[in-house]
Amino acid sequence: MNANNPYIPELATIIETFDETPDVKTFRVVLQDPAKMAAFRFEPGQVAQLSVFGTGESTFVICSPPTRMEYLQFSVMRVGELTHRLHTLKQGDPIGLRAPLGNHFPHQDMRGRDIVFIGGGLGMAPLRTLLLFMLDNRADYGNITLIYGGRTPEHLCFKDELKEWAARGDMRVELTVDTPGEGWQGRTGVVPAVLTDLAVRPENAVAVTCGPPIMIRFTLEALGKLGFKDEQIVTTLERRMKCGVGLCGRCNIGEKFVCVDGPVFTQAQLKGLPQEF
Amino acid sequence: MVDRFLKDSDLAAVTAAWARDFRVLAPVREGAAIVYRLFSEDMHPFLLRPPTSSAKEAILPQTENLFTYKYRKDQDDLTRTEVFLAEALPPEPTLILGPRPCDARGRHLLDRVFLERGVIDPQYKAHRAATLFVTVACTSMQNTCFCHWTGGAMDDESGSDVLLHPVTIGGVGGFVAHAVTPAGEELLATLPEATAPMLEKLAERRAATPEPEPAPDLSDIAGSFLAMFDNLDFWTDQSARCLSCGVCTYLCPTCSCFNITDENYGMSGRRLRTWDTCMSALYTLEGSGHNPRFSRAHRLRNRVGHKFSYHPREFPEAATAPSGLEFSCTGCGRCIKSCPVAVDIRQIVLDVLAAAAEKAPDKVGGTK
Repeated sequence: MNANNPYIPELATIIETFDETPDVKTFRVVLQDPAKMAAFRFEPGQVAQLSVFGTGESTFVICSPPTRMEYLQFSVMRVGELTHRLHTLKQGDPIGLRAPLGNHFPHQDMRGRDIVFIGGGLGMAPLRTLLLFMLDNRADYGNITLIYGGRTPEHLCFKDELKEWAARGDMRVELTVDTPGEGWQGRTGVVPAVLTDLAVRPENAVAVTCGPPIMIRFTLEALGKLGFKDEQIVTTLERRMKCGVGLCGRCNIGEKFVCVDGPVFTQAQLKGLPQEF
Repeated sequence: MVDRFLKDSDLAAVTAAWARDFRVLAPVREGAAIVYRLFSEDMHPFLLRPPTSSAKEAILPQTENLFTYKYRKDQDDLTRTEVFLAEALPPEPTLILGPRPCDARGRHLLDRVFLERGVIDPQYKAHRAATLFVTVACTSMQNTCFCHWTGGAMDDESGSDVLLHPVTIGGVGGFVAHAVTPAGEELLATLPEATAPMLEKLAERRAATPEPEPAPDLSDIAGSFLAMFDNLDFWTDQSARCLSCGVCTYLCPTCSCFNITDENYGMSGRRLRTWDTCMSALYTLEGSGHNPRFSRAHRLRNRVGHKFSYHPREFPEAATAPSGLEFSCTGCGRCIKSCPVAVDIRQIVLDVLAAAAEKAPDKVGGTK
C-alpha cells in the first residue's frame, strides 16, 4: 500500500497470463519497483484492488501463497466491465495494485488440526492460497482434504495442480462435477453430497469453504449434520467494494466492513451480524 | 475573544475581502433553491434561510480527482505501454459562508469516518485543514428541524470557526459575529466590536426564543433497530413510498459514501471520487448479479440503521445526543424537507422504537 495515500495504486506488470476455464483467466504480476516487490508481505486470504487505468478497479484475492513470492497470482472470472478489460491484457502490460487489503485466514489457529477445504468453481481461488501455504508448511497440519466441484470438468480451475495434489500422497483430493464429460474419472454430483458421503469427521478439524452462495448454504447444512460447530467453519464473503479501506461505505454488514473486518469470517462470526448477505 | 458586528450592508464587501485570501463558497438563491456558489463580487450572499444543500461539499467535494494517469507507448516497441500516475493537487484555502450549526456539526461526523475509523483519508484531511466555516445561528426551528434530538441546538458552536448571530438594532440588520477558533478570530479582525446594547438585544432575543418540543428518548434506538432488522414487512411498509432517488443522501451533512470511477481521454485520464448513495440498487450490485440490498426496504433500512444504530455502535465512546449516544445525523431535516414523497426519518425512528417495544416489552434496551 502507498503509505501516504491509500487510493494510489502501486504500478505492477503482468508477467504471465493463461486460461483456467472458458471464463477464468490467471494473471501473474510483479510490482515494477523491485525493492517494493521484495518488501511486499501479505497473509493467505488477503485481497488486492487491481486497476486497469481508464476502466477502473476491482477486488480479487491474492491466490498465490506468501511462501511463494516470485509473483502475485490472481484468477479472474470475466463478468463485468473491469474483468472484460482485464482479460484483454497480455504479458508486459502495466496495471495498478493496491494490496494487501482485508483480514486473512486464521491459519495460526489451524495448526495441528485436520483441514477440510470445500470449494466450488472460482471459490477455489482463496482456498488455493491457504492450501499451498499449508503444503509449504506441511508438518504443521494434520490430515488435509480437498473437496472441489465445478459445473463441468473444464470449469475446474487449477487443473494441473489438482493432479499434482492428488498424486502427493499427503492429502486427499475429491473432485466432483455437475455434468461429467467424456473421460471424467471423478465424482458426479454436488459438493455438499460428497461431503456427506465422505462422512468427514469434525474432531479437531476446521472446514474452510468458498464457492457460490447456493453451494455455501448446503455445505453449511451438511457440515452441521456432520457435527461441525460454527467456530470450526471458516468462509469468505463477496461484496462489491470500491475503496478497500473501510471508507466508501458499500460493503457494510451492520457496522462491520467486509473490506477491513473481512473477507474471512467464521460461521460463528457471521451469525452475530445482521443477516444481510 | 471579543464579539464583533457585521452589518448586513457590509456583508458583500466583507465577503469580497475574505475572497482575496480564500476560495469562498456563499449561498445564493437559484429559483426555489439556495445553493452554494463560488463567490464573485456581483453576488449577494443570502443568509436568511438555511441553504438547500448541506455544507459538506466544502470538505468532501461532490466530485474530485484522486489522481491522474497517463499511458505512454514505448517508442522502441509500440506493443508496450508504460503508465505514469500523478497525485491530485492540494486543495485551496476555502471559506464556506452560511452553513447552519447542524451543518457545522456534520464536520465532526465526517471526521469520524475519514480521520478516526482507521485509514486516514489524506484528501479529506487536507480539505478539512484548509476550510473555515462561517456559520449562521438559527433564530427559529422549521417544522423539519430536529437538531436537539441529536445533541445540537440553534446556536451550537461546535464545528464552526465563526458563528454569526442575526440581530437587528435601531433598524440596522446584521450579525453579532462570534469567533469560535483563532482562525475565525483572524477573519473578524477588521470588524467593529459589538456594542453592549447589541449584545443585550441578542441576549433578549435568545431568551425569548421558544424551546423546541422535548426530544423523544432515543437511548434504546441502536438495539431496537437490530431487534427490528429481520422484520422485512416493517421495512417494506416504511419504504413503500420511497423512490430510491437518493436526494436524502446527497443533501445530508453526514452521508459520506462515495464511488470511485475512471474518466478516460485517449491516452490519459483521471480517477474520480464522487458522492454515491446507498439508496441506489447499483450501489451494492455485484458482478455476479447478486445484490445483498436488492429492494428499497433493504436500502432504507441500511440508511436508518447506519445513522441510528451502526454509527453509535461503532463509536460508543462518543455521546453527544441527550440520549447518551452519538448519531450519524445532525437533525438538519433536509432529507425530510426535500424528499419528493415525504419520507420522514423521525417517524421511522419512532416507529422502530414502538415496534421493538411491542415485540419484546421487557427486552428492549441498551446499545450493544
